Amino acid sequence: MYKAVIIGGSAGSFQIIIRILSSLPANFPLPLLLCLHRLKHVRSGFVEALSIKSSIPIIEPDDKEQIKPGRAYLAPANYHMFIELGNRIALSTEESVNHSRPSIDLSFITAAQVYREKLVGVILSGANKDGAYGLKKVSDLGGVTIVQDPNECQVKTMTESALKMTKVHHVFSPTEIVRFLQKINK
Amino acid sequence: MLPYEIGIVETRNVIKTILDTYGYDFGDYALTSFKRRLENIILTNGLKDAEGLIARLENNKVFFDSFLKDVNPETTEMFRDPPLWRDLRDDILPEIVRSSVKPKIWIGAIDSGEELYSLCITLQEIDMLDKVNILSSYLSEETVKKIKNCKIDPRQHEANDANYQRCNGIKRYADYFANGMGNGASTINAGLIENVTFVKQDAVFSNPPGSIRLALFRNQTIYFNQILQDQVLNRMQEVILPGGYLVLGIKESLENTIANNKFTVKNSAEKIYRKKAG
Repeated sequence: MYKAVIIGGSAGSFQIIIRILSSLPANFPLPLLLCLHRLKHVRSGFVEALSIKSSIPIIEPDDKEQIKPGRAYLAPANYHMFIELGNRIALSTEESVNHSRPSIDLSFITAAQVYREKLVGVILSGANKDGAYGLKKVSDLGGVTIVQDPNECQVKTMTESALKMTKVHHVFSPTEIVRFLQKINK
Repeated sequence: MLPYEIGIVETRNVIKTILDTYGYDFGDYALTSFKRRLENIILTNGLKDAEGLIARLENNKVFFDSFLKDVNPETTEMFRDPPLWRDLRDDILPEIVRSSVKPKIWIGAIDSGEELYSLCITLQEIDMLDKVNILSSYLSEETVKKIKNCKIDPRQHEANDANYQRCNGIKRYADYFANGMGNGASTINAGLIENVTFVKQDAVFSNPPGSIRLALFRNQTIYFNQILQDQVLNRMQEVILPGGYLVLGIKESLENTIANNKFTVKNSAEKIYRKKAG
């Protein structure tokens, strides 16, 4: 049984995230951790945009917020989002990684260290290589790795970088990603 | 990416060495970010692993000072969260200057100077820089030297400038640099910080300065676990005067801490709290 799903995305991932969120039931059995590249100085609006069609409540967590199933946690603008032991969010303002804060790598690495083989990591469309090393850590620590099919991505760099670094379990279309998540822990 | 990953047991060993050797207690720092800091320090100092770090830390005060500089992440941005700086400039700072003589403003957060420079610029733009006492905390002597040097990494100009413009300041960001913003590090006008008092702190803020009208303590408690968050915020609470202000980072909160009932919320988005009277 899995304990969490973590999704990383950048340019071109917004529509797929919306689709995933709108396809999952309110009683989705796991927490969804979302690390999406976003403008540093725009603090509000993103949660609202993602919430429109989502049955799952979307939260931009405060520091040390407890992680609960059936909720989506969106990395806040201009903070890194770590997963801390004790199943809590920990935020950081340390330097950008891969020119990104939040950095997908850091969220994935720390989630992998906490959830290990009980984690599902998903990399979506994006324009830089952030997330590739993080997904490798998910794989190294026994988690399930999924990459959106680069041929279906608006921007391929992120998924291709991830595929170069890791022999992933699944290369999926958006429809297949949704189907996989709908069946998770059933 | 980092080639070395430190384990929890090794992290505890480093913490114990520092406590035994220097009396600084990092035992209640948030584990994930503290581990990352240690990994960075091990990597940038060409050490092999935690044992190498422990060996270097023992009996080497100079190295320990540099460790203290690197163990807290730098803020990396001036005027982070422009709405806060507008609120300070238009509301909070004029109020505390009106209501007391030379009010004490304390920058509690340990960083590389960005918060201090932002505060001094803001005060200067409303002609209040000489009407307040500014105290700035530090852990490491090296950090104080760096802050007094007033050097800004040119890679940070873009973010700083964009933030400054969103504050609607009365000048241009570039006006604050003595030698312009060409290649190489630029120097902020040193006069801005000449009257600042630097106050040494330990890792858990055991001895904060007293009689504070405004404490800026943004994005510092995120590096603590909840036990230490509670302790430190309560210590801050004790030194802030009734009617004085505490500012936390926008993702930090007094909620669920023992200090909470001593404050009212002045601005929930910018996490400005006001100490109750009496």
